[in-house]
Amino acid sequence: MAMKVQIEALTRVEGGGSLEVFLRDGKPESLRLSIYEPPRFIEGILKGKPYQVIPDITARICGICPVAYQMSGVQAIEDAFCVKIPEDIEEIRRLMYFGEWVQSHALHVFFLHLPDFFNVPSIIELSKIDKGLVLAGMEIKRAGSFIIQALGGRTSHPVSVVPGGFNALPESLSELKETLEKALEKALWTVEKLKALNFPDFELKEVLFVSLIEEDYPILKGDIYLEGVRVSPKEFKSFFVEFEVPYSTAKHAMTKYGRVYLVGPIARFNNAFEKLSPLAMETAQKLSLEPMVKNPHKGILVRIVEIVHALERSIRIVKDYKKPQRGKVEVVPRSSTGYGVSEAPRGILWHSYSFDSEGRILSANIVPPTSQNQRAIELSLWELIKDKENIKEDWLRDHAEPVIRSFDPCISCATHFLKVSLKDAKKFNLA
Amino acid sequence: MKVGVFKFSSCDGCQLAFFELEEELLRLSEKVQIQYFLEASSKNTWDYFDLAFVEGSISTPEEEERIKKIRESSRFLVAIGACAVSGGIQSARNFEDFSEIYFSVYSGRYEVNPLSKPLSDFVKVDLEIRGCPINKEALREVLIALLQGKSPQLPSYPVCLECKRKGNPCVVVAKGLICLGPITVAGCGALCPTFERGCYGCYGPVEKPNLQALLEGYSRLRVSQDLIKELLRISFNGYNKSIREWL
Ligand code: SF4
Ligand code: SF4
Ligand code: SF4
Repeated sequence: MAMKVQIEALTRVEGGGSLEVFLRDGKPESLRLSIYEPPRFIEGILKGKPYQVIPDITARICGICPVAYQMSGVQAIEDAFCVKIPEDIEEIRRLMYFGEWVQSHALHVFFLHLPDFFNVPSIIELSKIDKGLVLAGMEIKRAGSFIIQALGGRTSHPVSVVPGGFNALPESLSELKETLEKALEKALWTVEKLKALNFPDFELKEVLFVSLIEEDYPILKGDIYLEGVRVSPKEFKSFFVEFEVPYSTAKHAMTKYGRVYLVGPIARFNNAFEKLSPLAMETAQKLSLEPMVKNPHKGILVRIVEIVHALERSIRIVKDYKKPQRGKVEVVPRSSTGYGVSEAPRGILWHSYSFDSEGRILSANIVPPTSQNQRAIELSLWELIKDKENIKEDWLRDHAEPVIRSFDPCISCATHFLKVSLKDAKKFNLA
Repeated sequence: MKVGVFKFSSCDGCQLAFFELEEELLRLSEKVQIQYFLEASSKNTWDYFDLAFVEGSISTPEEEERIKKIRESSRFLVAIGACAVSGGIQSARNFEDFSEIYFSVYSGRYEVNPLSKPLSDFVKVDLEIRGCPINKEALREVLIALLQGKSPQLPSYPVCLECKRKGNPCVVVAKGLICLGPITVAGCGALCPTFERGCYGCYGPVEKPNLQALLEGYSRLRVSQDLIKELLRISFNGYNKSIREWL
């Protein structure tokens, strides 16, 4: 007998999604992570608009990682118009981006994910068990927000980032130093607590880890790295295939050889471990984390390591900060196509735009992290349930939802569509 | 007081204002019961709400049904952010050929309305919190005022006044930039002019905006009406009831 169990609305994730498991004679037959968030057609809306609107409009794809959208977006514009960004401006971009990592990771670690480990429904309930831990999480998150506010006015959808650099920059950032140092202390303090958590035994199998590669631990720019191969931002589309599936409003992605891949903190950690800051490295050791991390539940630990890295690096940038002579370099549009990719908190975020000679947008292409991760999430869920019988909704809530949450899927970001060719998908046996 | 937080077509950015309340959120949770808030809790119940906060615009038939159900279950309904108040950035499509936008990005199985609309096109909205995103100060003001049975005090004057209060040089006069501040409602603290750029209208129009005067003012500065209208259409609030007919 065929039947279906489902979680109708996923909770403590960003955006709307559901999980359906199909059973035959009590045994799992298939499953679907369905994303039902309505599409917002951002790429369509961008067409015909002047290039300057890209940072403001694409930021609105995601309330949690707007800086990532702004950074990939301006870098695609600069690539198209052959603009070279001076190092001092790039360093400030990094700082702002670290701010976003800190606040977004803290939001996920403490507000969304941590309650699972204590068997409570929310951070409010968690605060009744361990208020100190919750307050520490809030303090860390606030430090991230402070950075973004100082450079961009507000945490969500900041207003200073423009193609070429920043519209205006503060004279000094010294008031940030103490806040960041305190947050770093708090982060190190929480490490002991996180170390004591219980992690379900569980491993991702046959998944490729994909992240950027740059001199530093990857965040701002670089080539895309997978298993020893470097792919330039321009070549992205010839290595990765995006395709629609009938049950989700967000696209799925695989490598062109049909391999499932994972982007985000675990992939970055596995690919660039040795580039972590000294304290972050120490933290990883304390947590007994080393590449290859394959248990998605440990994403929470990798995120705290990245928080420590981001705070330590930010403190250094803040200490060295001198307001640049020029906050932005001149941008002159020309008819061409450009590519930009950066490491959003949840993984690589790829943008590409074509412009006419006046800089009006002819076409826009955006591939967010969550659509790339959907297959990997489904694969892990399948690992989890495949041998179980007579699955009930409660069991799914208790066991499957935490797995989904551990990936920190950002469903509102994922809901984007490019011109898709189902033919392509069929060719690769994907649909 | 029973509270629900709901999401429609949006980026989730306005809901984050609740998380930004941080410790206050914990304190408030002693007085208010957050009964439904998918992003914050895995335990949600839907029966009756004294206060419903709604983020996002209405852009599918399913969303039309759901917003009506929320209205029926709620005593007081607050629209939060440009999406809920005006239709959001996704309403920029309302001024263009929908099928062109739709098929340029999607192969077409999913049922989406051609227009992205504000909540008030479907149900009675008791209060609006402006902004894309809203800010936590406004959210705090609303929560506390309603808890005490008072009416919340939110600004109704334009961004220009905040600019003056801050002592910002006007970017239109000083730099010849285009700024939508004169018809945009305050609340952000004149963020953009402080960062030496023009306001792009993310808080939406003031009540009874004098669009004619704005267009004439800019035409004197040799800025075309078409350009101003285009900026308003992508201002996240172009489909606000008070200006949509103009655009
Ligand atoms: S109003 Fe702006 S910040 Fe709020 S949900 Fe809509 S797009 Fe996001
Ligand atoms: S900069 Fe804009 S908001 Fe400020 S006074 Fe001038 S027009 Fe008004
Ligand atoms: S100045 Fe205008 S665009 Fe900028 S934040 Fe304020 S209301 Fe939004």
